[in-house]
Amino acid sequence: MNLLLVGASHKTMPIELREKLAFDGPKLPAALNELTARYGCEAAIVSTCNRAEIYIARAGATVAPDAELIAEFLAQFHAVPLEPIRAALYSKGNEDAVRHLFRVAGSLDSLIVGEGQIAGQVKKAYESAQAAGSAGAILHSLFQQALNVAKRVRTQTGISKGHVSVSSVAVDYVREVHAQFDDKTVLVIGAGKMGALTLKHLRSLNPQRILVTNRSPEKAQDVARGCDGVAIPWEQLDDALVEADIVLSTTGAPEPIMTRRRFDGILARRSRGTMVILDIAVPRDFDPRIHDGDRACLFNVDDLKRIQEQTLKERREHIRPAEAIIEQEVKRFQNEWRRRKHGPIIAQLTQYGEEQRRAVAADLFAKLNGKLSDEDRKYIEGALKLLLNRILHGPISALAEETPEPSKHTLLEAMMKLFRLER
Amino acid sequence: MQSFFEKISILCFAASYGVAFALELWHLFRPRPILRILALVFGGAGLFAHVVFLIVQCLIAEKRLPLGSPTGSLLFLALILAVFYFSEAIHHARIAWALFVLPLVLGLIGLAVVLPAPSEAETWRSFWSVAHGILLLLAAVGVSIGFIASVMYLVQMRRLRHKLPPNQGVPLLSLERLEQMNRRAILLAFPLLTAGLLAGVVLEIYNGIEDWLSLRILSVVCLWLVFAILLYLRYFVHVRGRQLALWTMFAFAILVVALVSPHSFMQGGGP
Repeated sequence: MNLLLVGASHKTMPIELREKLAFDGPKLPAALNELTARYGCEAAIVSTCNRAEIYIARAGATVAPDAELIAEFLAQFHAVPLEPIRAALYSKGNEDAVRHLFRVAGSLDSLIVGEGQIAGQVKKAYESAQAAGSAGAILHSLFQQALNVAKRVRTQTGISKGHVSVSSVAVDYVREVHAQFDDKTVLVIGAGKMGALTLKHLRSLNPQRILVTNRSPEKAQDVARGCDGVAIPWEQLDDALVEADIVLSTTGAPEPIMTRRRFDGILARRSRGTMVILDIAVPRDFDPRIHDGDRACLFNVDDLKRIQEQTLKERREHIRPAEAIIEQEVKRFQNEWRRRKHGPIIAQLTQYGEEQRRAVAADLFAKLNGKLSDEDRKYIEGALKLLLNRILHGPISALAEETPEPSKHTLLEAMMKLFRLER
Repeated sequence: MQSFFEKISILCFAASYGVAFALELWHLFRPRPILRILALVFGGAGLFAHVVFLIVQCLIAEKRLPLGSPTGSLLFLALILAVFYFSEAIHHARIAWALFVLPLVLGLIGLAVVLPAPSEAETWRSFWSVAHGILLLLAAVGVSIGFIASVMYLVQMRRLRHKLPPNQGVPLLSLERLEQMNRRAILLAFPLLTAGLLAGVVLEIYNGIEDWLSLRILSVVCLWLVFAILLYLRYFVHVRGRQLALWTMFAFAILVVALVSPHSFMQGGGP
């Protein structure tokens, strides 16, 4: 099918170089137009923060696109010297290129296995190629199937299960406790930078209010301004805890700020539901003994990281079934492509056989005119059809199952000669 | 057609619910959407057979099964809970309702089978007996749903206590939703129970008090008291979460005793 992939990923190229090869904004359609104009081929580009890959295809040609030329194109297009990037580029042809794209779309080649963004990025690459008019028969089939593969891998294996960032895991725990957030109070204790991302995730839940407290009132004001919250004095920490449903603690205090005894006093004053405490400070701010899973659920950095690692480990266990799906899909793609490619030949072959059958049947019925009943004629017609189908089954299957190079042309041409078919 | 429906037995719907439960259990270990769909199909088939069975038994069969008998009450309660399972499984498809509701449904059906069948064609003879039976049945539905919510709450709480990974294992509602479900079930059940109890008192007075200390009456009164304590604890002492769940489970245990106890009012007439 003459498919070629040339690219670089987080596995082969450092970020400093990858940044230079990014096809962002107007660069992407420009590159697609340039590729199709320069090499007369189909083209698609998958460009993400972790990879830049060019897929080139020529449906009818006998000569495959040259990887070296595409590497030169990359260097020229981005105005970077070829030598530093040449060593980090990889190229794959036909079956290997198909397998690679399916692995990429199925997130098996991602930095974090099972991450959900890559399927969308592959889809975007396909849509860009469509918009630029650079996707032809091969790339249409390839990318459409790649998106199906991504869906199959995601739904039929557990590779995308769970979250793998500490802040997402924290929010998952919050959701295990609370269902509704427009009546909830989030309390932020401290102004640690580690908590910024988690606070961002918590804000996306749209809580009723966010309270911020810090030993330094200025810092509390700063954080409160950044999250549309209300700064409260440090002395009111206990009162705030009585009102809080979700607590994010990120102080830099050397000792726990909340002992069990102090917290028991707060619990006694509370009439609200379960309090979720995300203690991502190191050293910890809350005494771990206050966690009971009922009135208070306390998760510290170690808990969240443990879940993160466990999720990644579980995802890795799904790699093998995902690879099996990809192998199936690669085979299916190849068979489908061959069937399409050989479709006209198979149609000719079937038509030729059908003409021969009709001619033989017409001769036979003419000779036996008057000696056959309608039933006999039907039976003979059926028998001839069956014979034809049995004869053609072998050659048609052989074409569909034909192995790639080097015997491809021999088999195809032999059949065309044997049955006097024309390309 | 009528004879076909008359052939439907308790075993038919109990087996369907059992298969639905087994499929859901299977889905827990090997998640496949088809298992969920099959579980729903079997659950739906069980529900259909259950409805047909009760219609035939209560309206058509020669020896009618009254709602007021322990067997009848248990089968009707099981039916309403099966309807609850079916609708929730459709509306909140992510949650493993079958794992919590169907064992209860099967347990109630099992109790109905074990209990002796009504000895004679007992019928409700008055407005008060009908009101008493229906109100208590609806209250029982509330208590049962509260019980299911409580069990789910304790399972979810245990998962959180052990800090198990979120979104893994048995899919459950959040603690807040489960507590809310429990609270609503109790709030629904309490007035129904009170009204049902008052209807029963009227009925007993009208029939002439035979045995105020029968197990049935005692257990229903006890259930009412537990409910009153439960509401007091919830709204005046602000007891929540695990303790509330345990109280609800205790109330359910008393309900089961009340349900399996023989009825005295069934034989009597009414105003």
